[in-house]
Amino acid sequence: MPFSDLSFREKSAWAMGALFIAVTAFYLFDVQPISWREGLAPPVDRHFMKIMIATIVGSIIIQSLLASRNPKEADTPADERERLALARAGNLSGIILGFGSVAALMNYLVHANGDLLFHGILLSLLVSTIAESALQIYFFRRGA
Amino acid sequence: MGKSPPITNRVKLHRMLAGGITQAELGEAVGVTRHTIIAIEQGHYSPSLETAFRIARHFEVGIEDVFGWEG
Repeated sequence: MPFSDLSFREKSAWAMGALFIAVTAFYLFDVQPISWREGLAPPVDRHFMKIMIATIVGSIIIQSLLASRNPKEADTPADERERLALARAGNLSGIILGFGSVAALMNYLVHANGDLLFHGILLSLLVSTIAESALQIYFFRRGA
Repeated sequence: MGKSPPITNRVKLHRMLAGGITQAELGEAVGVTRHTIIAIEQGHYSPSLETAFRIARHFEVGIEDVFGWEG
């Protein structure tokens, strides 16, 4: 199915999924070399700010572009099938976030490494957001 | 695609009988998207009771003329 034939919300899910994959890759490539060189990169510095800014600016650009090309659909609230797909995807991605966060907290209890806790929870958040987009696409196509 | 629900429908037939209205026109008339009408017609999605009634009302037929239970 060509991209132009997709519903507004499926287009949005593809675009946001791609954005978060790019942000996650950017984050990993940014943090990893420092971690190899100096031990785990400290969380509260330019790395975190970079991905925050990239996420916010990227989201605004993507949503503005999609809304300008599909103004009618962008103004229409999700219908019953879309709401069901969004709710199911949100529920499952929340479980992924929960598992990742609990794993990071358990790791903190054992190693008492706050930096690793921060990176673990941030990575869980990024992975769960990517999973949410993928699940939305799956449920939209399956019929919810 | 997941397993289709056991609810059958004749939405496409009724669209043709109603003068060939499009999926988008039907969707707009009953308050869902064109993609939801496509999913209903293909048997991938069972609409809510409210939407099923809206579709039947739109075609001026009973709900069981449009939707059925398989088996």
